[in-house]
Amino acid sequence: MTIDSKLAGKIALVTGGSRGIGRAIVETLAADGADVTFVYRGAAEAANEVVAQATGRGLRVAAEQADVRDAPQCEALVEKIISRHGTIDILVNNAGVVRDGLLVMLSADDVREVIETNLVGTITMSRAVVPTMISRRSGSIVNLSSVAASKGGRGQSNYAASKGGIEAFTRALAVELASRRIRVNAIAPGVIETEMSQAVRDLAGEQVLARILLKRYGQPQEIANAVWFLASQLAGYVTGEVLHVDGGFKMD
Amino acid sequence: MEFSKEDIAAVYPKVAATLADALGCDVDQVKLDASLIEDLQAESIDFLDLVFRLERAFKVKIPRGKIIEDARGELSEVEFEQRGVLTEAALIRLKSFLSEVPPERIKSPLKATEIPRLFTPETFCKVVLRAQRAQVMA
Repeated sequence: MTIDSKLAGKIALVTGGSRGIGRAIVETLAADGADVTFVYRGAAEAANEVVAQATGRGLRVAAEQADVRDAPQCEALVEKIISRHGTIDILVNNAGVVRDGLLVMLSADDVREVIETNLVGTITMSRAVVPTMISRRSGSIVNLSSVAASKGGRGQSNYAASKGGIEAFTRALAVELASRRIRVNAIAPGVIETEMSQAVRDLAGEQVLARILLKRYGQPQEIANAVWFLASQLAGYVTGEVLHVDGGFKMD
Repeated sequence: MEFSKEDIAAVYPKVAATLADALGCDVDQVKLDASLIEDLQAESIDFLDLVFRLERAFKVKIPRGKIIEDARGELSEVEFEQRGVLTEAALIRLKSFLSEVPPERIKSPLKATEIPRLFTPETFCKVVLRAQRAQVMA
């Protein structure tokens, strides 16, 4: 028996692809033959490096600058990809930010920035991509949630709210789009070794590690593997699901 | 009459083909005056798909929710519906706006959410013609 993910030749769009987990997702999907366009907001240099490295390996990867909070920018980007490739088969809503702090210490901007990028950005990009998937009666959307969505953590109320919203959005959209054979799922990573989680690891590393069953942090590649699975036809019977990839953190 | 028979006939073949694609049915099953929901088993998500496809086929922009907005015309929301049910003024307005729908189908009590049940392929021919007209004016 051969295992075929059927990702070869598929058109994928990944938001927040220049660094961390997003970069690993871009590289993994492309390594399995997908044609990947990723979105970055500000990190042009990092984005160019991802493209240069990937194309050097013979992979099909392109970068586009856009702000996922901005509906016209999302629509223009989607239109551009469709005119280039004809469709979008896979959307990975990965773009996210953290502005951790105790609730009363958070500024209004800290709250808005996190909710708008993580939650509204996921919804806005999905709105832009879904029409083409509906018309083709196929597609796979993978949203990046977090262990914070289901496990309360001090100083992350804004982030937790945004990720909880993503999980609720995932389930509702799965119901809405099932009749058009579009699958919608989420991944809830635990603490992954990225720049974004550096502050949490520095601040509470020992305490956090003690609560992770596997006694180590996760690697971006381990999240990318799970995204790859949900995006691919191997998960053809999975929709409305939140897959926890957290070393057992949620069990604590 | 908002559009002539010739206007409708000019866009109908492409609208019918687009409809058949969206609903996964044969183009011969599509009749100008069929009810899309009752006769062709369309669901609300099909209307969205249809609008996306018409936008591409005719290279026009059809803002989401435009049909209902246009259907209301000059009437305010309260003048148009009360507790979800269309007012007498709304029924009169609908009979003229959806002139392609047999008037006996537009009768009280009609809920606002039931308006899509009235839509026929001709309704979407008019949507396209209005979008084309708006584009020319812009």
